[in-house]
Amino acid sequence: MHAYESDFREPLINGLDKTYTKITDDLVTPTERTYKGWWLTISVFAVLACVFVFCLCWTVFYGIGVWGLNKTVDWAWDITNFVWWIGIGHAGTLISAILLLFRQRFRTGINRAAEAMTIFAVICAGMFPVFHMGRVWDCFFIFPYPNTRGPLWVNFNSPLLWDVFAISTYFSVSVLFWYSGLMPDFATIRDRAKGKYRKMIYNVLSFGWTGTAKQWQRFESLSLVLAGLSTPLVLSVHTIVSFDFATSVIPGWHTTIFPPYFVAGAIFSGFAMVETLMLIVRKVFKLEDYITVNHIESMNKIIVLTGSIVGIAYITEMFIAWYSGYLYEQFAFYNRALGKYWWAYAWMMSCNVLSPQLYWFKPFRRNLWITFILSIFVNIGMWFERFVIIVTSLADDFLPGSWAYFQPTWVDVGIFVGSIGLFMTLFLLFARFFPVIAIAEVKSIFRTSSEVAKAERAKKENLSNGGFVGHTTFGILDKDAK
Amino acid sequence: MEDKVYWKGLEELEQTSMSSDKEFAEDLPVLGSITESITTQGATSRRDFLKMLGFSTTAAVIAAGCEMPVRKSIPYALKPEEVIPGVANYYASVMYQGGDYCPVLVKTREGRPIKVEGNSMSTVTRGGSSARVHSSVLSLYDGARYRNPKRGKENITWEVADKEIGEKLKSIKDANGKIVIFSSSIASPSTLAAIAEFKSAYGAEHMVSDAVSYSGMLDANEKSFGTRTIPSYNFDKAKVIVGLGCDFLGTWLSPIEFAADWAVNRKVTKENRKMSKHIQVESALTITGSAADKRIPVKPSEEATFAVDLYKAVSGGSSGNAKADSVAKELIANKGAAVVVSGSNDANVQMVVNAINEALESYGSTISFTSTYNTKTGSDKSAVELAEKLASGDVKAVIFYNCNPVHTHPMAAKLADGIKKAALSVSFNERMDETSEACQYVCPDHNWLESWNDISPKTGVYHICQPTITKLFDTRQAQDTLLKWSGSKENYYDFIRSHWEKNVYPKQSKYNGFNALWDVIVHDGELIIEGGSESKFSGGGVEGAIGAVSSTYANMGDIQVKLYESVAMGNGYWTDNPFQQELPDPITKITWGNYVMVPISWRQKNNVKNDLELKDYQLVKVTANGQSVTLPAVAVPGLANGTFAIALGYGKTVTNPLSKDELQVGKNAYPLLAMMGDNFSYVSKATIEILPQTEKVAITQSHHNITLKDLGGIKKRKVVKETTLAEYIKNEKGNAGNEDREEILEEQVSLYYKHEKIGPHWNMSIDLNTCIGCGSCVTACNVENNVPVVGKDQVIRSREMHWMRIDRYFTYNEMIQDGTETLPAENIDVVFQPLMCQHCDNAPCENVCPVAATNHSSEGLNQMAYNRCIGTRYCANNCPYKVRRFNWYDYQGADAFDGKRVSKFWANEGLLSNATQALQEPLARMVLNPDVTVRSRGVIEKCSFCVQRIQEGKLSAKKENRPLKDGDVVTACQSACPTNAIVFGDRNDEKSAIRTRVEDERTYGVIEEIHTMPNVTYLTKVRNRDAEKA
Repeated sequence: MHAYESDFREPLINGLDKTYTKITDDLVTPTERTYKGWWLTISVFAVLACVFVFCLCWTVFYGIGVWGLNKTVDWAWDITNFVWWIGIGHAGTLISAILLLFRQRFRTGINRAAEAMTIFAVICAGMFPVFHMGRVWDCFFIFPYPNTRGPLWVNFNSPLLWDVFAISTYFSVSVLFWYSGLMPDFATIRDRAKGKYRKMIYNVLSFGWTGTAKQWQRFESLSLVLAGLSTPLVLSVHTIVSFDFATSVIPGWHTTIFPPYFVAGAIFSGFAMVETLMLIVRKVFKLEDYITVNHIESMNKIIVLTGSIVGIAYITEMFIAWYSGYLYEQFAFYNRALGKYWWAYAWMMSCNVLSPQLYWFKPFRRNLWITFILSIFVNIGMWFERFVIIVTSLADDFLPGSWAYFQPTWVDVGIFVGSIGLFMTLFLLFARFFPVIAIAEVKSIFRTSSEVAKAERAKKENLSNGGFVGHTTFGILDKDAK
Repeated sequence: MEDKVYWKGLEELEQTSMSSDKEFAEDLPVLGSITESITTQGATSRRDFLKMLGFSTTAAVIAAGCEMPVRKSIPYALKPEEVIPGVANYYASVMYQGGDYCPVLVKTREGRPIKVEGNSMSTVTRGGSSARVHSSVLSLYDGARYRNPKRGKENITWEVADKEIGEKLKSIKDANGKIVIFSSSIASPSTLAAIAEFKSAYGAEHMVSDAVSYSGMLDANEKSFGTRTIPSYNFDKAKVIVGLGCDFLGTWLSPIEFAADWAVNRKVTKENRKMSKHIQVESALTITGSAADKRIPVKPSEEATFAVDLYKAVSGGSSGNAKADSVAKELIANKGAAVVVSGSNDANVQMVVNAINEALESYGSTISFTSTYNTKTGSDKSAVELAEKLASGDVKAVIFYNCNPVHTHPMAAKLADGIKKAALSVSFNERMDETSEACQYVCPDHNWLESWNDISPKTGVYHICQPTITKLFDTRQAQDTLLKWSGSKENYYDFIRSHWEKNVYPKQSKYNGFNALWDVIVHDGELIIEGGSESKFSGGGVEGAIGAVSSTYANMGDIQVKLYESVAMGNGYWTDNPFQQELPDPITKITWGNYVMVPISWRQKNNVKNDLELKDYQLVKVTANGQSVTLPAVAVPGLANGTFAIALGYGKTVTNPLSKDELQVGKNAYPLLAMMGDNFSYVSKATIEILPQTEKVAITQSHHNITLKDLGGIKKRKVVKETTLAEYIKNEKGNAGNEDREEILEEQVSLYYKHEKIGPHWNMSIDLNTCIGCGSCVTACNVENNVPVVGKDQVIRSREMHWMRIDRYFTYNEMIQDGTETLPAENIDVVFQPLMCQHCDNAPCENVCPVAATNHSSEGLNQMAYNRCIGTRYCANNCPYKVRRFNWYDYQGADAFDGKRVSKFWANEGLLSNATQALQEPLARMVLNPDVTVRSRGVIEKCSFCVQRIQEGKLSAKKENRPLKDGDVVTACQSACPTNAIVFGDRNDEKSAIRTRVEDERTYGVIEEIHTMPNVTYLTKVRNRDAEKA
């Protein structure tokens, strides 16, 4: 991957003091010391994670009745949270697989954390379809296994069953991808490790990685194979999740636009969540040189793209509802925007469609504070998007005689906030013990895209009076050899 | 050699219809599992052997290793002759409770009454029933029942009670003290005879007064006809019916009977495009007004003055009231086939109404004195007299029977004080109530399901009430008690028989020998003896009455309160019954508690909060007759300005101790009744104060207008379809109002493989024209299918579990023209639409269930396998009719995972309502239908088309070795409907009633344009009015 890169491109690794050793130092140090505030932060989130567990226990013990659902709105926060988390879980695979295939080098700075985030988000997401079941103790009925009841099979027509396959596949492939990428980095940590046990643990985690050429070759092949496998998954998972709604008959759910619209929304929220996390990580772990403003800007471009796709989808839905001439569809969308849940729609529109439009302007794209705030806005908006789709469509559907209003209970809130606690706890553990930036991958772009390399090239260029110097990066190697 | 095919009959050979020996149309896949290879192929492979060995060993280990719950059951040592376990017995009987009368069949299983249904052999009610009738079976198992006689709070034995009360009665009698038996109207001839025995033994007086009074009408008839009785009304003979504030389909006099009669002339078919015209003049919106062709909203006082106007118009003059003139025109055109009824308790109003009916020649045709009601004989004067005489100490001993005046008497406080002054006060009431608590002694009566009795609702009509279970508690029938105290040795059963032998048997000639008569009436439940003579209208006093009405109601002011009996609560008798409490009011759809109905314009003007989403309603304080109640104000369309209405019967203070928080909901409005002349007035001048507080109201449907004006003009959801009689007559095809169906059916195509339908195809048809929204079907379904009661809090959370609901829609009775924003909210029509699982042949719920827990039968049923359900609720979301219900909690105590059973510590009482928990008690659980699974927490449930009844019908056909025939299967809702609006049956049976209905051009399916192919269809509503007013 040591292709030529135009000098006009901004470097992806900043700092003229960077060497391979320095990179290793910078990136491994966070796993070797506990940062100030880490204990406090993880305590707060661990308490929230306990709230999550407590609220789930409460639900299982007393019944789904402890949530605010009713006879008309049978899904609300549970499935909203599920789709929200699954959406967030899209960025990781997109970054590692699709951007890998497209040779987007900027992904190296963020892919590790994004993949980890994906896995934790999918773990959170997976909780909801399980615990929203009225009889969670019978959840194994959902798997097609040979049995003595006839045998009685699952209903392969049900999108909910497709979800089971889609999510479990996505989870497995994401974990494989993430872990295989971690192996060389574990080996790096192991090689620096001081303590006997630390060395042993990281050795086991690295599967005894030694860094031979053969291993690297296989590693690269595996990356490509997994990237190829997961690329369709990025598109399929949220497509299938959207089928939960699209294949139904409920106005507001029964929409063919859902698959692309959901996938765009998922990437949108996934990138936003990556930004929220990375902006904190780069500051706390002092990784500004590796997660540069350039990275942030690239992600913001994707956010404005996907945000606009989502916006077009919203408008298209409205147009089609009007154009269909179908009363129920028209009412569903009228009601969505101006009905009893108008405020949810307003949140959705302003956070998802309006706020990302700031990113058309470069200063905003490169402003970290604005990025941080907007990344949170986007995820608020995306949560409301799912809430709007699920709840407003259900609350007022075909027969006015059955319309009802949904209000959450403390358990609903507890489970949602708790799931954020669980997610953050897992992420903090990851950030403390695993390298948050893929060391090997960052090193792989050092020769092409770092500030040092670019400076070297520029120097050579001046020396040879502007001659072509694409491959003359020996100076860096020389420096490293010192 | 070829396999030869042997067959028993043509049906089996051709598989055309269901052959009688096959319970299921398709072969059951029972051998499809591991045993298949063993049993069908004969050769057991080694692998199969090992599989079976492994399975059986594991099963044995698990079975032996786990502790199994031990349930003790006692088999019959000697099997009772009539009881076959698993087979229901039906007994004809009659319910006369809380003023409601209905001849019934009681269904018992293993000696337990579990369901009460209308007796279809009755010529009076034609098999109809009401929600109250269905709920009444739960009152048998009510935790509020007294379990033994009591002295104050102390339990005593019957010997002690008899001795002490006997001594007191004797000493009072010896001192010439006045002894009074106070009761509601008694329609039982034998009971009256028993009371007569007591009266003669002690010189006692029997005073009768009804909580919801017909005393004014009785007084008027006494003046007009010289007889203090209420005649029979034959709505089936009327071509024009005018109701003046008279809810005769819901609550007035004998609603089940009237609904059945009324429906006779409301059924239109292509061949018979005729129907009666029903005009309702009323203040509070009732189901009768909703069913009317024309409803004239008036203030409560105008219900009375309208009668005067109508009288003037009918008797030739002009009234100055255009509406009354037009009504009079219709009436006069149908002289001899018209009837005017008034719900007023003012004798003057009723006298005017009598004069109208006389002028219309109704007596002898639509109204008849040949058979008069025994169910309403009370006098308001005696109610007042009792209160005064008790207060003054004139009455020394008082016995209360079948009444609860301390709750229902307008002067309840005075009465309660008076009771304390009496030397002896006894209550015969079977359940805990205010009156019994005020009395020294409680000598609890049997429940009617434990009693022998006779009821003669009208002269010449007799029913026998027979016990269907041995007494549950140490109670004694009141009549036995009275007989015993009067010194008679006879028990009441023998007493009835001898009374009948002497008084009823001689009147008839059909049966030879008393036992023959007795056996037939006990079996059939009804005996009709023709005879009786008409009374002559004397005509006196009408002018005086008109003057009195005009002066009384002229200045009632702008705020008038109407106190009414609600469909669910009756006079308050049903307050203890959780089924009735949870029955949504047909009009307001409110459960658990009463409220003030206010006009929409008043609510808007005063900005009174009615939050439909959060179900939060502002409280108002209504003051009338010097008394006030504070209740939430609920705006209801169709109320004329100045109309405020409050339901009576709520706000009991003594009920079942286990669920009293729930059952004591609402406020008692009886104190607001004022004496006007000799009778209580249910209409009075009032003042209203709007309070700052709000209260949550357990409403199941909010008032959404079905017309959506905001999107591209007027578009209607084709949920209910309506037309006018004029249109219907004009329309040759007979599909007026349903013209779009042809197109819908044409455009229905499916990608799915069409399933072959073998055997019956179950269908239901509901005639919107005769559905009156009374809720009888809802309660019948609840009782039949063990539907849980969830309590007020859960209803506020929109979690009622009813498998059936009756959607109520308001619509303007004149089409809104484009550009018009709204019409006055008074000008409304109401449509009721019973909605249960539509058993779609292309069901959206079925293909979304991940575990195939809900699926389609070959007979068109959408089935639920509760065992398989994991509770994802996807089906409920995807149901366009929203008829699926989820068990949010363990409502029925069905779940082994129940917190209560784990430990008391975990039992969170706050989550389940008290009423729900009380119904989990072993006593209340006796009402459960053993044929229907009690659902556990976390599963979806819904209407099954009474699959247990279908199965029973099939099995009886099988036993009799014949194919199923129409009428073998009757669903609970169908049998409950007093107007026969619901028809159920096999659509493949060409001769069935359902086939005719399904092929009627009025038939349509709700939102069938989304291709659900529902097996429940509706017949368009036809209102008898001119074409231009659609």
